[in-house]
Amino acid sequence: MLLKSSIASKMAAGNKLKKSTYDIAMTGVAIAIIEVCKTALMGAPNIELTSFWVIMFTLFFGRKILFVIPAFILIEGCMFGFGIWWVMYLYAWPLLALLTGIFRKQENVVFWAVLSGLYGLFFGALCAVPYIVNASFNGGIRSGLYAGFTWWVAGIPYDLLHCAGNFVLMMVLYKPVNMVFSYIKKQYS
Amino acid sequence: MTDTKKTNRKLIIGITALVLLIVVFAAVFLLFRPKTVQGAKSITIEVVDNNAASTIYDLHTDAEYLRQAMEQAEGLEFSGTESEYGMMVETVNGVTADWNVDQSYWGFYVNGDYCNYGIDTQPVVDGDAFKIVYSK
Repeated sequence: MLLKSSIASKMAAGNKLKKSTYDIAMTGVAIAIIEVCKTALMGAPNIELTSFWVIMFTLFFGRKILFVIPAFILIEGCMFGFGIWWVMYLYAWPLLALLTGIFRKQENVVFWAVLSGLYGLFFGALCAVPYIVNASFNGGIRSGLYAGFTWWVAGIPYDLLHCAGNFVLMMVLYKPVNMVFSYIKKQYS
Repeated sequence: MTDTKKTNRKLIIGITALVLLIVVFAAVFLLFRPKTVQGAKSITIEVVDNNAASTIYDLHTDAEYLRQAMEQAEGLEFSGTESEYGMMVETVNGVTADWNVDQSYWGFYVNGDYCNYGIDTQPVVDGDAFKIVYSK
């Protein structure tokens, strides 16, 4: 009896370790996929797959996305410098993961396309926040709001493009990627 | 009402909201984007290079956008990469700033504020003081 329980506890510990190794490997793969897609689409203005992957990986990993996003943000900073744009990354991508987590039970592709499109549309507004704060420190809140507003307005054409790109990419890629993720989950769970 | 009908209704509301927001955003842009000014303008363009040496160009121009004004400034030479956003300036007066090499870039300012537009879409207004600064 004692031997049995000892073997069971060892097996449980082994399974836990196996699962954690699997999680670490998948986290690495997820970050690599995001970075490769980001680099590949760098030439296209505001057409990106990061939003798509953050949504898909949040649906796939659940709370474990918390390991993927900080690592991705840190890599971005190391690659392109820790500028003012990087501050925006600290809240913009976690916000998308949070929204995805809230609606995780949704399975309709159109829903995710609309969410991704909305995120693209508001991306410029989200990016404007550090500029508001920065300009507010230099010239007061009024000056900060003006700087943020003009910065946001200047980028609206790109936000519209971002919205359209995110919507279309989600419509096209959601079903095949979701199928692959379901297969992986079945194989390894 | 069945669940499918309810879901479809919610999706239609979502798509409609997205389209309405796109229209609102486009309207905001059309209303608040900086307008270009036609006719003669007097402006200055100051270049601060990698040694912090400053060169000031005073010019009278009909240019509506900064790029045209820069092209008209006698002695000011610049080049860069053309992209969907317009020209990305890399070299000014023979000095190249390359982010990929040493995180350096040419920063553009108008009347002390960072330019929100590229040189192809940055409007020029009478009295504007532009500054092109080698930054690292």
